[in-house]
Amino acid sequence: MSVTETVLVFVAIPLGVVALLTLAVYGKSLVRQPNRYRPGRAWNYPPSWYVPHPEAVVARPKSGPTTAVGGASGEW
Amino acid sequence: MSGEIVSAGGRQELQEGPQGNAAARGPFTARQLSRLDEALTLSSRETGLMFSVYVGGLQPPARAHAEALFERLDERSVLLAVSPGQRLLHIVTGPESVKRLPNRACALAALAMRASFANGDLVGGIVTGLRMLSDAAGNR
Repeated sequence: MSVTETVLVFVAIPLGVVALLTLAVYGKSLVRQPNRYRPGRAWNYPPSWYVPHPEAVVARPKSGPTTAVGGASGEW
Repeated sequence: MSGEIVSAGGRQELQEGPQGNAAARGPFTARQLSRLDEALTLSSRETGLMFSVYVGGLQPPARAHAEALFERLDERSVLLAVSPGQRLLHIVTGPESVKRLPNRACALAALAMRASFANGDLVGGIVTGLRMLSDAAGNR
């Protein structure tokens, strides 16, 4: 076997197999959920605030800041 | 650090960022955003309470920050503030919404949400929390 053949058989083929397996294992989740949250990882997205559709709740005029009364907290 | 108010339903606005598709850069996929939107809208419509979800960092003391955010909402609002980076969750109720949602109901929802968050399912946890809170509040 020439040097090129040796490299092809012992380097290129194993690399190809590894790449194929990696794609088979992680490919689907990379495509479907590129930005999935994992506990303990840093969160680098800008803060966002989601509100319901305006027609779901009738807007009510508001005077001054509303005081928070109750609720709950938690950590994970 | 205050959040920008974004309607989860207003995906048009969300996608017109200066850098192109905001849904791709943001934490949630388009499908997750539509789940979030559906849960928010349904629970608000059913209960007559105004549910909103804040996802982002909370400056310490986190509770005070969440309550400061709540000041911008009205009396029948319920704020779910989630900070994935700090692994913190705060539910805040106002003078009117607390009558429908006692702290016990909020604590139960928070417990269920924590379980999903610990598994890395942010949207699932938020949707579960919204569903539990709207069940506890009942119909208007």
